[in-house]
Amino acid sequence: MRNRLKVLRAERNWSQADLAGRLDVSRQSVNAIETGKYDPSLPLAFKIARVFALSIEQIFIEEASAAQAAE
Amino acid sequence: MSCEVPESAKEAGRRYTRGMLLAGALYIGFVALGVTVIRQMSPPQWLIIVLALLPALPALLMLRTYLTFFRALDEFQRRIQAEAALITLAIVTLAAFSYGFLEEWAGFPHVPLIWAIPAVIITWGVSAFIVRSRYK
Repeated sequence: MRNRLKVLRAERNWSQADLAGRLDVSRQSVNAIETGKYDPSLPLAFKIARVFALSIEQIFIEEASAAQAAE
Repeated sequence: MSCEVPESAKEAGRRYTRGMLLAGALYIGFVALGVTVIRQMSPPQWLIIVLALLPALPALLMLRTYLTFFRALDEFQRRIQAEAALITLAIVTLAAFSYGFLEEWAGFPHVPLIWAIPAVIITWGVSAFIVRSRYK
């Protein structure tokens, strides 16, 4: 699953540690999500969406739908 | 909010350190007590059994301390620990199983079961390091 975490974070001028603090997770967790190496659980995805005041779909992009959009 | 680790995790880390230090101190104390009593006092068999089982108590405290720490981790860190635990389970049991055959059939030197916990701790530490590095 792809995501826009890095862009959204940069728009707000937040470091990974800042975002980790807001989500109450470790910085390593934010890094793993951001690089697509770890997909968060639904509760954490909702929390991320709440922090950015966006919907989950505006942050996380399913690979299949991303490929479909590219065609 | 520029902290590397959230406050809840820091508190969990402090509790973990305290628990492990207490368990370590109890372990050293019980082993020293057992060795001293068995070597110097020729105690009855029932007391030797009690003394031999005493070091299991701090081992249980270590397990409880670790479980409390595990539950306080965030979901990604828990995943790393769980993967490391599975790898450790596979490696240590397979190594023990294979070495058992080597002992029985090939006359390899006997290794006391007392090394089981150190083997688990070392393998777990290495496994967690490797699993964590895969996510970097």
